[in-house]
Parts: sequence; C-alpha cells; structure tokens
Amino acid sequence: MKYPLFKSGIEQKKSRWGLFFVIPSILFFSLFSFYPIFTALYTSFFRKKLLSLQPPDFIALQNYAYLLKSPDFWNSIRATAVFTIGTFIPIVILSLILANFIVSRKRFQQFFQMAYYSPAVLSSVVVAVIWLLIFDPRGLGNQVLNFLFNSPGVDHKFLANSIMVQISTMVVYSWKYLGYFTIIFIVGLTTIPQSTHEAALIDGASRWQDFYYITLPLLKPTTVLVSVMSMLQCLKTFSTQYLFTQGGAPMAPINVITLNIYHTAIRDHRIGRASAMSVILFFIMLIFTWLQFRVSRSEEVSY
Amino acid sequence: MQKKWQKKTKNSNISSIIINSFIWLFLIGTAMFVLAPLVFMFTASVMPASDVMKMPFPWIPKGIYWQNYWQGIRGNDGSFIYIRNILNSFIVASSVTVTTVILSAITGFGLAKYRFWGRNAVFMLIMATFMIPFEAIMIPLYLVVTKLGLQNSYQGLIIPFLVNAFGIFLMRQYFITFPDEILDAARIDGASEMMIFRTIIVPNSIPAMATLAVLTFKSQWDNLLWPLLIVQSEEMKTIPQYIVRFISEKHTDEGALMAVASIASIPILILFLRLSKYFIGGAALFSSRKG
Repeated sequence: MKYPLFKSGIEQKKSRWGLFFVIPSILFFSLFSFYPIFTALYTSFFRKKLLSLQPPDFIALQNYAYLLKSPDFWNSIRATAVFTIGTFIPIVILSLILANFIVSRKRFQQFFQMAYYSPAVLSSVVVAVIWLLIFDPRGLGNQVLNFLFNSPGVDHKFLANSIMVQISTMVVYSWKYLGYFTIIFIVGLTTIPQSTHEAALIDGASRWQDFYYITLPLLKPTTVLVSVMSMLQCLKTFSTQYLFTQGGAPMAPINVITLNIYHTAIRDHRIGRASAMSVILFFIMLIFTWLQFRVSRSEEVSY
Repeated sequence: MQKKWQKKTKNSNISSIIINSFIWLFLIGTAMFVLAPLVFMFTASVMPASDVMKMPFPWIPKGIYWQNYWQGIRGNDGSFIYIRNILNSFIVASSVTVTTVILSAITGFGLAKYRFWGRNAVFMLIMATFMIPFEAIMIPLYLVVTKLGLQNSYQGLIIPFLVNAFGIFLMRQYFITFPDEILDAARIDGASEMMIFRTIIVPNSIPAMATLAVLTFKSQWDNLLWPLLIVQSEEMKTIPQYIVRFISEKHTDEGALMAVASIASIPILILFLRLSKYFIGGAALFSSRKG
C-alpha cells in the first residue's frame, strides 16, 4: 500500500489537495485532447459533410480506401516526405557545425547564439512573407545567386518552378529553425566534460580527430534528439506552404498533408475524409514521438 | 632535432590560423545569411515599393517613407482593422500565456509534491497528450468548439490552448527538486496548501514560469491554423490572418507589406531582446529533457 486510498489526518488532507490541483488539467485534456482524437477516429468511418443537416453515413473504411487510391493524397505524402527529408538533414548538419564552431570561439558566443536564434521568434507568417519578396523574380534571391555565380539576368523561378518551390520552402524552414537547433547542440556540447577533450589532445589527437572520435560519439543522443525533433516539426509544417500558395506559388508540389487536411475540411467540407487523413498523420507522428521518447531514455551516455 | 620540431610548430601555427579564419568566416557568413532577411524587412518597410523591388536592392533607405506604416495600419479599404487584429492577438496570446503558466504550475505542483491515488496514471495520461499533435485533432476540435457555440469568439480562440503537457512537465520537473522541509515547515506554521502555493512556490519558480511564459506567448503570436479554422469575421481575426489577407488583397505594394510584417514582429523581437535568456533557456531545456 504505497498510496492508500483512505488515509487519516494530514496525509489524507494532502492527498485531497493533490487531486484538487490536478483536476482542472485532467478535465481540460479529456475534453480538448482525448475526446477530439477519439472523435477523429470515429468520424473517419463516416461520410460526413460540414454544414450538412443529413446524419452522417457509416461507411466503415471507405474513407481510408479512397485515400489510399487517391493520387492527391499520395502527392501530399510525397510532398511532406520530401519536405521533411530535405529540411531536417541540412538543419542537423548545419546546426551541428555551427554549434561546434561557436563553442570553439572565446568571444562573441552570446552574439552568434542570439543572431542565429532570432528568426525562430518571428511568426511563420512573417517569415513566409519576407521570403515571398526575396523569391520574387526581381527580388534579393535572384540578385544574390546571380552575383555569386556571375550569371546576370537569370531568373531562378523560386516560386514558379515545381522543384524550385519545394527547395524554397526548405530554405525558409531551415532558415527559421537553424538557430533553435544550434542552441540545443550547444547545450549538448557543453555537457561533454572538458577533461575528455584535454585527454585526447594530450594523447596527440588533432582537432579533427578530437571532433570525430570524441565529440561526435558523445553527442549522439543530442544528434538523434535534434533529428527527431526537427522531423516532427517538419511534418507539422503549414504556414509557409499556405502563404506561398496564397502568394501565387503552384499548389501541387507543396501540398503538404496539413494543408490537404485544411482544404479537404474547409473548402470541400469533407469532414470524414479529413478526419481519416488526420488519423493517418497522427499515427505517422506517433511513431516519431515514440522514437523520440525511446531515444531520450536509452541513449544516455556516461562519461 | 630541435629545428625540425620548431618547423612543425610553425606549420601547425599557419594551419591553425587558416582554420581559425575559416571558422570566423563561416560564422559571420551564416550570421549574414540569417540576419539579412530581417534587415531586409525593416529597411524595405521604410521604402517606397519602387525602391523595394529595385535591382540591385538599395540596402540603405534614402529617407524614411512612413506612408507604408500608415497604409499598413489603415488597410487598403481604410477600415483600420489591423489595429483591432493586433489587439486580438495581444488578448489571445496574453490570456493563453496566463492560463498556461497558472494551470501548469498548479498541476505540476500537485504532481510533484503530493502523493495521491492514481498520481502516476494522471502523469502518464498528461504525457500521452504529447503524442497528440494539434494538427491531427484540429478538425474534431473545430467540431467541438462549434458545438459549444464558441466559433468566432475570444473564448474559441483561447480555450483549446488553456494548458499543455509541455508546461506541466516543465513545472513538475522544476518542483521535484524543491525541498519538502520548507513546505512542511510552512504547514506546521499553519499555512494552508493554497497559501503555500502562492507564497512559497510561485515566488520561487519565477525563472521556470518566465521561460514557459515567453515560449507560450511566442507560439500563440505565431498561431495561424486555428484562427483560420474558427474565425470568420474581420473583427475577430488575428495578426497572421491579417497578413494573409493583405497579401491576397494587394500583392504589389511590397513596402506596405513589409511595414505590416515589421509591426507584427516588433513586440516579439522586443520581448526576445529583453528576455533572451528565457527564450534560449527554453530551447536548451529540450536537450536535457528526460522522459
């Protein structure tokens, strides 16, 4: 009897207070987290139209069958997968490099951290709007690339070409979240004891060897964590793609799954089908979240 | 022998200078890449549209072209609705921040410092909501909020975000290390549990609460998807929605668009510059997070 149901005196009073403190949150999560996810699952078995007065028809797995055959849905899966892979890999590599470089400096550490982090505090809509202008045919994007590659007058069609527009969304997202993940890496780096590096350097290791054989293996938990976190972040992307399509970019290449859910529910009024998509998104993200939990538990390094 | 050794140090000195300059160049280059769009936003916001789209972009504005800000605030139809939308964003983001901090602190305190039947189950349930992304439940949430008659209202914008698992987890971890002896001493002196929370716990958890507050405020300031779903009238829209509307209304006036974006960013940037340690501390929290 570790937590007896009935206790006397002060212990019982305390346990009642504990329950009293957590009840508001429990009620909240029941109504606004658990109830909706079960509703999503339930609704996904019905043909339900928004604003329709008819009772929804039970159609079992037909929504899922439809989605699995729908090229539009598979396009969304492709767009989301391409975006996620194309964004999280540069983020992880670049932020790992930046974190190592920053930590190796004796001065301006604070400045670089703040500078790299600053885009992350802006709202995604503002970020998308700034980059819409940069990616304008007359904008800074073309000017800078033409200056770097000495190719005056070339239009790179950042928002018009179907491949370029995917790359553009990746650039925007990497730009926004680079500093955020750099900081997570910096914290990971500072937890590696300095004595480990010193021991390696005394043994004659070069700086590169120190990085490759000491830093990288000891940093593995942080690297895995950053990878999973950035993947989860990318799977949820919405604002950038939404704003880009509003700004005139073609929809199909960047029709990520959240955008598709939004359009299916709000424009096409197909709540059942949108719920089925939500359930699929939920399970995809569940796998990644489970991975994140497993990783942050099992991958602990002892120095 | 001696000479050879000296030569080697000289060589490695040169190579370390090269490596060092490369690192500085890389850091500065990246900083320029990261900061240039921000600078672009603010400089373009005080330029006439013809200058914003000039090739090459004139980085230094000739004068301050305030008309952009006037046009952004006034709106293309002269309705000044942006002021109302900014107010809405402040109301929603501040309310959500206040409720999240209070509820997370209370729940985290209850979970960390009280033993009651089912405590671990409650904690596991709350952690399970980590696995339910907002994007997966937004459609049923929309149905719930509509059924409650809260669409197109402040309540509708605020209620789904009253508290979140991350906040509770953060506060619980913070309280767990708090010494029980102090709480017991207060109890012996006759303090009620509510008084203990108010007079001992709250004043001692300001850093954790501030971190949670800035992160919550930032994410609400950024929220586009939920208002898009439940707000229909112009009066109830928030800043991100106004920007969406401004783009589709008049895509050509780039100067005014950047003014609107600057106005949307100034409050959060001020918050960031004043409270950067909480923002950065909030990001850093994740790396030491253990389930």
